[in-house]
Amino acid sequence: MSQLFDITLIALLIACAVAVIRTKDLLAAAIIFSAYSLVMCLIWQHRGAPDVAMTEAAVGAGVTTVLFIVTIARTVRRER
Amino acid sequence: MIEALWNNLDYAASVVLFLIGLYAVIAKNNLVKKFMGLNIMETAVFAFIVALGVVEGGDAPIHGPDAHPPFTNPLPQALILTGIVVAVSTTALALSLIIRIHRQCGTIEADELREME
Amino acid sequence: MKRALVAALLIVAAIPLLSIVAELPPHAAPDSPAYTHVSAHYLEHGAEEAGAENIVTDVILNYRGFDTNGEVTVIFTALAAVLAILLLPSEERVEERPAPAMPVSMVVRFVVRLLAPFIALFAVYVIMNGHVTPGGGFQGGTILGALVIALTIVLGEDEAHRLLPRPARPWLQAAAPLTFVVIGIAGIAVVGSYLGFPAEEPWQWVRTAWLVILEIGIGVGGGAIIGTLFWTMEAER
Repeated sequence: MSQLFDITLIALLIACAVAVIRTKDLLAAAIIFSAYSLVMCLIWQHRGAPDVAMTEAAVGAGVTTVLFIVTIARTVRRER
Repeated sequence: MIEALWNNLDYAASVVLFLIGLYAVIAKNNLVKKFMGLNIMETAVFAFIVALGVVEGGDAPIHGPDAHPPFTNPLPQALILTGIVVAVSTTALALSLIIRIHRQCGTIEADELREME
Repeated sequence: MKRALVAALLIVAAIPLLSIVAELPPHAAPDSPAYTHVSAHYLEHGAEEAGAENIVTDVILNYRGFDTNGEVTVIFTALAAVLAILLLPSEERVEERPAPAMPVSMVVRFVVRLLAPFIALFAVYVIMNGHVTPGGGFQGGTILGALVIALTIVLGEDEAHRLLPRPARPWLQAAAPLTFVVIGIAGIAVVGSYLGFPAEEPWQWVRTAWLVILEIGIGVGGGAIIGTLFWTMEAER
């Protein structure tokens, strides 16, 4: 059961990473990147690393995404 | 080899994520996209190092009244904690450079910037 | 052409990485080399030697304090670099864009105002309890920074700038390196080495107190730095 959970999370992680790369809309890519960080945080929590998981949830999913969104708002939204 | 990779699934997954990020850094043209790729590479390396410290049935390394060994390895976790915070400061620096490039040149596509010289 | 080149490069990178990963000791084995040397000592004696029940906090702030001292300096330097890049006036403007002004809905404004004290309380809890529960200075500081960001979006910049009063702002942003310097010098005074922690038995509470002071410094500094980063990048237009 635990193995199945692991494999599901890892598959979700790789799917999110591919989606970040393939999305042409940068704002959507930033949001998917936030989801990627959250899945990573779940994996680390499951592996017995709650400190790292908490940092990733706050920094990776929170602050990095906000900085990306601010940058996109100040530059262009669509990738050519 | 496939069986060895299947047993080390965490390591294999971080290699795959690293390659996905590398692809974005090399092949994508948009600077913001390149940095998303770089962030994915960073998290892949973090995932690899955290996976090195995992122990079968390991608990979070926090001593307390109801905690009992085995605990996971605290050393990789501490290293990665600092790593994540340094990663966000490099990202902030890179993004502010991108904003500045857009203000100066009006574009953030690598090939258009190259033509501009 | 370019696609083929990229694919070739990725394959060239993938083969050594995957073959090395397949050769590594099995995942999660208790007798792996990473687990049996210094980490075993940290796990066994960390709580008494270093002063915190959370071994990760022990490693970050006590055993590897120099590392963290350098790292908080890195964040502070990154903030300085961002300010230098974005506050410099530009000589030419390529394109002028209208400022996008979107009014914040009343519901959002009310809910953020309602939640703000609770978020601040949670951040303080995470910072102050970093030595017994998961969490600590970085996590709590980031939560504080996120609170500053949310309030900036909802209340507007002028109101939010009052959160970090201008005369105190440089000191708040430099709080983390400054705390490390203070504790480091205290270490010189008490033990004789920079960032040294007193090791004798009756000093247990001093070790814990210093850890908590470092956590508070990192939390305040981190929150101020993240808030200022957001303000600087957001005000840019």
